[in-house]
Amino acid sequence: MPLEGDIAQRKTTFKQIGTRPIRPDGVDKVTGRARFGADASAPGMLIGKVLRSPHAHARIRKINTAKAEALAGVKAVVTRDDFKDRNDALRDVLVNCMARDKALYDGHAVAAVAATTAAIADKALKLIVVDYEVLPHVTDVDEAMKPGAPILDKTMFTNNVEPKPTKPSNVASRCEFALGDIKAGFAKADVVVERSFKTEATHQGYIEPHACLANLGPDGQGEIWVCTQGHYMIRNTCADLLGLDISKLRVTASEIGGGFGGKTTVFIEPVALALSRKSGRPVKMVMTRNEVFRATGPTSSTSMRIKVGTTRDGRITAAEADLRYQGGAFPGSPVELGAMTAFACYDLENVKAVGYDVITNRPKQAAYRAPGAPMAAFAVESVIDELAKKIRMDPVDFRLKNAAKQGTKSAYGPTFGPIGLIQTLEAIKAHPNYRAPLGPNQGRGLASGFWFNFAGQTCTTLNVNLDGTVALAVGTPDIGGSRASMCLMAAEELGIGYEQVRTIVADTSSLGYNDVTDGSRVTFASGLATIMAAREVIKKMCARAAKTWGISADAVTWEDGQAKPAGSNAGNFKPMSFKEIAAASHSTGGPLAGHHEINADGAGVSFATHLCDVEVDPETGYTRVLRYTIAQDAGKAIHPSYVEGQFQGGAAQGIGWALNEEYIYGKDGRLQNAGFLDYRIPVASDCPMIDTIIVEVANPKHPYGVRGVGETSIVPPMGAIANAVSAAIGVRMLELPMSPPRIVHALDSRLKKAAD
Amino acid sequence: MARVMLGGTLKSLAGNTPVLEVDAKTIREVLDRVGEVYPSLLPILDRVAVAVDGQIYRNQWFAAVKPDSEVFILPPMAGG
Amino acid sequence: MQFEAPETVGAAVKLLAKASGTTRMLAGGTDVLVQLRSGTVEPKLIVDLKRIAELGKIAPEKGGFRVGATVPAAAIGENVKVRKMWPGVVEAANLIGSTQIQGRATLAGNLCNGSPAADSVPALIAASAVALIAGPKGRRKVPVEKIIVGPGKTSLKKGEIVTGIVLPARPARTGDAYLRFIPRSEMDIAVVGVGVCLTLDAKGVCTAARVSLGAVAPTPLLVKAAADALIGTKVDAAALAKMAKAASAACNPIDDKRGTKEFRVKVAGVLARRAAEKALKRARGN
Ligand SMILES: Cc1cc2nc3c(=O)[nH]c(=O)nc-3n(C[C@H](O)[C@H](O)[C@H](O)COP(=O)(O)OP(=O)(O)OC[C@H]3O[C@@H](n4cnc5c(N)ncnc54)[C@H](O)[C@@H]3O)c2cc1C
Repeated sequence: MPLEGDIAQRKTTFKQIGTRPIRPDGVDKVTGRARFGADASAPGMLIGKVLRSPHAHARIRKINTAKAEALAGVKAVVTRDDFKDRNDALRDVLVNCMARDKALYDGHAVAAVAATTAAIADKALKLIVVDYEVLPHVTDVDEAMKPGAPILDKTMFTNNVEPKPTKPSNVASRCEFALGDIKAGFAKADVVVERSFKTEATHQGYIEPHACLANLGPDGQGEIWVCTQGHYMIRNTCADLLGLDISKLRVTASEIGGGFGGKTTVFIEPVALALSRKSGRPVKMVMTRNEVFRATGPTSSTSMRIKVGTTRDGRITAAEADLRYQGGAFPGSPVELGAMTAFACYDLENVKAVGYDVITNRPKQAAYRAPGAPMAAFAVESVIDELAKKIRMDPVDFRLKNAAKQGTKSAYGPTFGPIGLIQTLEAIKAHPNYRAPLGPNQGRGLASGFWFNFAGQTCTTLNVNLDGTVALAVGTPDIGGSRASMCLMAAEELGIGYEQVRTIVADTSSLGYNDVTDGSRVTFASGLATIMAAREVIKKMCARAAKTWGISADAVTWEDGQAKPAGSNAGNFKPMSFKEIAAASHSTGGPLAGHHEINADGAGVSFATHLCDVEVDPETGYTRVLRYTIAQDAGKAIHPSYVEGQFQGGAAQGIGWALNEEYIYGKDGRLQNAGFLDYRIPVASDCPMIDTIIVEVANPKHPYGVRGVGETSIVPPMGAIANAVSAAIGVRMLELPMSPPRIVHALDSRLKKAAD
Repeated sequence: MARVMLGGTLKSLAGNTPVLEVDAKTIREVLDRVGEVYPSLLPILDRVAVAVDGQIYRNQWFAAVKPDSEVFILPPMAGG
Repeated sequence: MQFEAPETVGAAVKLLAKASGTTRMLAGGTDVLVQLRSGTVEPKLIVDLKRIAELGKIAPEKGGFRVGATVPAAAIGENVKVRKMWPGVVEAANLIGSTQIQGRATLAGNLCNGSPAADSVPALIAASAVALIAGPKGRRKVPVEKIIVGPGKTSLKKGEIVTGIVLPARPARTGDAYLRFIPRSEMDIAVVGVGVCLTLDAKGVCTAARVSLGAVAPTPLLVKAAADALIGTKVDAAALAKMAKAASAACNPIDDKRGTKEFRVKVAGVLARRAAEKALKRARGN
C-alpha cells in the first residue's frame, strides 16, 4: 500500500475495527480513580463562588462589595469592573459570564468571591449588596415577539428584514432557506396539513456540573484544569477575555461527566482566572446543580408552524416552516440550523423554511446535540405522520417515496452524496418491532432525522515507545468513548494490539490547536489524524528497516505489522516487526513518531429513523415507552458498542425531552425547577432496552468510511414518540413535553369538544 | 464559471440574489469574488461554511472549485 | 453546628429541649442531608437518633407492631409479618426513593419532615397508625393524621421526639393499599398519593373505611366523605365512582411545577378508585 498521507487510501477489510474491546478509561471510571473537574486541588487553594441575580431582568445600579471584602478569609471579589468591556464577537460571552449594566436572567452572574473555605465564600456572597432596578421581563418566545413586549436590548434591530426596522425588537434576525415555488407546490397538493407546535427548553443534563481549578500567577503564566469539551477553546477565550498571551495559559481537560454540547463555551473559567489573578492563589470553582440549570445553556424553546402538502398517491409537493427559537438573553439561537435541517430528510422541489432568532430573559442557550434540529424535526415529522394517515399510506412507505438520496438537492442547498436514509427506513420496516401487535392504549410512531456532522481543526501525535507500545496524544476531549476508537484505529494501521496503544487527551501546550469536541467530529477527525500519523510512522519504520538492510526505502513494504523487502529483487531479509523496529530505534536514528495536523472536512451527513411503541394511561396521562428501535447510518462503526451507545443515549435523552423535561418559569421570571427532582430526566426504568441497527454507507471522505454519529440520534425521538403517543390516545399532541397533565388536558378537551 | 448560491441569512444580507457566476479555482477565490460583489457580506465571510458539490467545508480556503461546481455559501455552523 | 449522638431517649430529649435555634434530628438523614447541602437550613444542633437502641427495632404490640423511629424502609419491607398485615403501608414505605434511599429512610423521618407529599403518611393514616412521642413532659400517643399541620410543620413541641409508630392489629376482612402518581417510573415525588384501608363484613359489605390523600393540600388529608361513600356498600362501581368524586372534591391543590390543579384533582379521584379496588381485593383475601 502507498504510505502517503492519502485520505483516498481506503481500507475496507479490517482486523480490529468493528470489534468491541473494553474502553481504556473504563476501569478508572468504575473504580472512582478517574479525575473529573472537581477532583483537582492545589496548595493554598481558595474556593470561588458566584453571586447570581434573583431577577429575570434588572438594571444593576451599584454593586457594593466592601463588606464581603472585609470578611476574614475572603481573598478576592470580582465584578464587572474586573473585566474589560469589549465590542467584538466575544462580548456576549463575557457579559454572560459576568453581567454588566443589566442582569438579563434569573441566575445571571453579578459578582464572585474567592475565600479560604466554601462556608466563608457563601457568607461573603450574602454580604455583597447589589442595587437592582427591576425591569419587566419576558421568557416566552411568542410573547417576546409581540409588539409591546419588554425589550431586552434597545440597540437591537432585526437583521435581514425589509424595510429596515425603525424600532428595536427582541428578534435578532430572520433567515430563510427556499427552493422552487411553494405556492405552485401547494396548488398541486391533494391534501395539506398545517399545524402549530411548541417545545420547551431542555438542558443537556450532563451529570457532572461545571468545575475548574484556575491558577494565574503574578508572572502572567497560568493553568486551568477544567471539565470541558474543548480545552483549546477555553484557553483562547480566557486568554482573550483576560488579556493574556495564548502561550501563557495552559489548559488541561479533566475527565468529563457528560457535555452533549453544553460544555463548548466558558462560564466560570474566566471568573476563576480573574479571582486567581486578584488573590494570587489557585481558585477552585464547582457549580451546584442549581447553578447549572439557571446559568448554563439549555437549548432553545420554540414555537413553530409547519405546512406540508402531498398528492393522494404520496408525493410531497410543497413544504413550509416558520420557526421561532429563543436562545436566551443573547442572539445566536440555533434557528438557522433548524431551518436548514427541517426538511433535509426529503427530496423536495418546493420548500421554504423561515427562522427567527429571538432573545428573552433566559440563560444564553448552548449547543445541545444537533443544535436546532430536533425541535424542527419533531414538528415536521408530526405533520408527515398526519399526512401519511390522511392518505392512508404506510408511514415508512410515505417517507421512502419522498426520501432524500444520493443526488437529491437538499432543502438547505447542496446536493447530497452517498447517504443512508433509505437504508434506515428499510431496516426499520424489516424489523420485527414494526409488525409486533399492539394492545389497548398503545401506539406506534416513527420519525426520521438528519444532522450535518462537522470535522474541523485537529492535531495529533503518535509516539512509539522502545517496547513497541504506542503513546497517542489527541487534543479532543473524550466524551463518548473516543479514546477506545483512537486506540483501535492506531492499532489497525500499525498492525499491533489494541492494548499496545494508550491514548491520552493532551493539554493545550503539548499539541497544536484542536477544535472543540462537537459536531460529532472526533471519531472522524481525530481518527483521520490518528490514521495519518500512524501511516507516517509506518513510512519512517520502513525507512529504518531499509537502512538496517542497506536497501533503498522504496524497496520496503509494510504488511501485517511488519516491514518486508518489497519483492525478491529487493533482497532476502527477515521481516522486521513493529516491535523489533521500535526496540532498535535508539540506534537507527532515535525516537519514532508520527504527527498529523489537518483542518478536516467531509464528516459525512448522517440520517436515522427511530421507531417506538408507547402505552398511555388514559386516566392519568402517564406514558410508558414499551419498545424502541433505532436505525442510523454510521458510515463505518469503529467500536460498535460506542456507536450503539450514542444511538441509545440520543433516544434516552429524547424520551426525556418528549415526555417530561422542561424549563418551568414562574410569573416572576424565575426558574421553578432548577434541580433534578423537578427537572425530570428519564431514570433507567423509564427506558426500555433500546434496539439498534447500525447502517453502514461508507463516507468517501474517511479512509475507513466513518461518519459522525453523536448527534443525529437526538433528532428523531421527539417526533417518533409524539407520533406514538398521538396514535395511542387518538389526539395529535402539538406541544413538548407531553407531560401527564398535558395529555390529560388534551384528552379532556377532546371529550368536551365531542360533548359540545 | 462556478455557480455560487447564498443560503439563509446571507441571502437576505446580499439582497436576495439567487445565483452568482464566479470565476474561481478555490474557496478563497470564491469568497473574494463574493465579497467584491456584496461588501455587506464581508464581516461574516471569514466565518461561513461553504459547500462545494455537496461537500461542506468550514474555514477551508484552498479546497478546489471546478468550473462546473455548485457552490453554496452557508451561515456559520456548529454542532454539540 | 453541634452534632450529638445520645444513647437514650431521655438524653436526646434533654439536648433538644435546651437547644436554642434550629435543630434537626438525624434518622436516615435522607431529607436532612439534602437540606443541609442545599443550604435551606443551617441547624445549630443535630441529634443523631441511631445510637438509641430502643428506636431501632420492629416489635409486636397488641396484635400489631411498633416500628421504631430509626428502622429503615428496607427493614420494614423485609419483615414478612408486617408485609402480610399492612401491605399498603409497606408498599408506600418501599416506594420512597430507591434501594439506596430505603436503606436509610425511616417512617418517622418521612412523617416529621412534614411534607404533604410524603409517601408513607397517607398509608399510615389509612391504617389508623399512631405516633409514639417522648418529650420533656413525658410520653404521649397521637394519631398520625394529627402530626403534620402544614408544609414542613408538625404538632411536635420543643424537645419532642417520635420514638416509633404503632401499626394496630388488623381487623378481620381488612385490606389496605397505597398508590401514588409520579410522571416517571421511580425516583420522584408524589403528584398525588392515596392510601385506602377498608373492612368488609361476612357478606362483603364495607363496614369501615379510611381514605387519605397526599400532595393535594398543604397537609395529607383524611377524607371522611370518601370513606362514607364506601361504607354500607359492596364497594361496587357506583360506590367507587362516588368515592372517587369525594376524593377529588376534597383536594385543595395548587398549580405548580409538579402539576396543574385540574390534573391533580382528577388524578386524585382516579387513584383513590384504583387504591380502593386494590384494598378491596386484599380485604376479600383476609
Ligand atoms: C433521592 C431521594 C428520593 C426520595 N424519594 C422519596 C419518595 O419517593 N417519597 C417520599 O415520601 N420521600 C422521598 N424522599 C424523602 C425522604 O427520603 C423521606 O422523607 C424519608 O422517609 C425521610 O426519612 P429519614 O429517616 O431519612 O429522615 P431524616 O432526614 O433523618 O429526617 C427528616 C426530618 O424529620 C425529623 N425527624 C427525623 N426523625 C425524627 C423523630 N424520630 N422525631 C421527630 N422528628 C424526626 C428531622 O429533624 C428532619 O426534620 C427522597 C429523598 C431522596 C434524597
